[in-house]
Amino acid sequence: MFKQTNVSQPIIGLLSALLLSGCSGATRVQLESSFPALLTEPREVRAAVIMSPEFSEYIATPNKNMTLEIGASQRNILEKTFRGLITEVVFVDNLALIEEPQDIIIRPSVVDVQVAVPSENYLNVYEVWIKYNIAISDTDDNPIDSWFMPVYGKTASSFMLQKDAAVGSATTIALRDIGAKLSLDFYRIPALKTYLDARWQETAP
Amino acid sequence: MKILTLWLALLGLAGCTTTTTIDEYRSSDKQLTVATNDSVVLLGRRDAGHYETDAEFVDCVGNKLRSSQLQVIPEQAFMDALYPWLEPRTAPKGLMRMRQLMQEPLVGEAISSQSIRYFVWLDGSTETLDKGGSISCAAGPGGAGCFGFAKWDKASIYEAIVWDVSDYSEVARVRVDSEGTSYLIGAVAPIPLLTPVKSDACKSLGKQLQSLFVAD
Repeated sequence: MFKQTNVSQPIIGLLSALLLSGCSGATRVQLESSFPALLTEPREVRAAVIMSPEFSEYIATPNKNMTLEIGASQRNILEKTFRGLITEVVFVDNLALIEEPQDIIIRPSVVDVQVAVPSENYLNVYEVWIKYNIAISDTDDNPIDSWFMPVYGKTASSFMLQKDAAVGSATTIALRDIGAKLSLDFYRIPALKTYLDARWQETAP
Repeated sequence: MKILTLWLALLGLAGCTTTTTIDEYRSSDKQLTVATNDSVVLLGRRDAGHYETDAEFVDCVGNKLRSSQLQVIPEQAFMDALYPWLEPRTAPKGLMRMRQLMQEPLVGEAISSQSIRYFVWLDGSTETLDKGGSISCAAGPGGAGCFGFAKWDKASIYEAIVWDVSDYSEVARVRVDSEGTSYLIGAVAPIPLLTPVKSDACKSLGKQLQSLFVAD
């Protein structure tokens, strides 16, 4: 039988605190990342991007023990991305706030968010997938296309890296992937390309 | 007690060492010249499915190169300056794609403005290969303690590929393999005997890369 001493009390307190904080299952990631501007040449297009308050304050719950507050960050990166791709772009909360005629109207929305941690994927990485739907419509708000855009981020697991920080880092990388994916593919969406080519021919002198 | 002390000392001496192997390929016998205004940038490859070249390792090798008076651009700052062209989805895998990317006026200008002469791509990871033993800890009103023995083997395998931006050529490859075993002994207090495998890989790779470059 151990004799209780004054030294053992802080150790027990520390172990109890570690047990309480370390074994709690809930993970809450609050992202406030800012992103760099795109190094791209924007094209001569007039566009309105509708990002509803629901989208701008979006909180994902990939599982019952995890919440990812990605609304502000996804709005930030989408604003920077579309500014890098389109010469004249406005960002509004709803359709009624668009004041001038636009070539295209874009409505991004989140379809699904998935997270995998090393204990689930048996790899040494944390992974985050976010699936967006980019709905594109014409000047009169007739649908052109509804394009699904998956983005992905992963971060290496580390002995000292906390789960919240690791998932946050993977989410930031996934959000940076929005800029990469849209830069490569936005003007290659077949229906959008056909529509814009026809519109440029109409307006060409 | 004496036997335990002797055993721990032996374990400390024999166990906490790493075995590091370095392979190097150069396209010529000459060292790579870096002019006074030229810079080198180190970037991690992050397109593999099952591992991630971590930024901490890239920083570590970058710091080793900085200590030899080379001008090394920090990875994140460079990735931000060229966003989104160095993200996992868009980073050039080969020299042909690099040439195409440099022909984009904005990208070419951004790289030239920072006087980048060499790109060093780092690819690899540190993984636990094998684990053995067991250790258990318990705490009660009378005290706390750990008993048992655990060991694990780690391996760090990294490759650095050096591209010369002036003529879009691959000028060198350096590969480092570092392995070692760490121990945790529970003798009331847990006694860790950790082998710095990753740190050793960083030191060795940094030193080898230092020997590649020479300031003009």
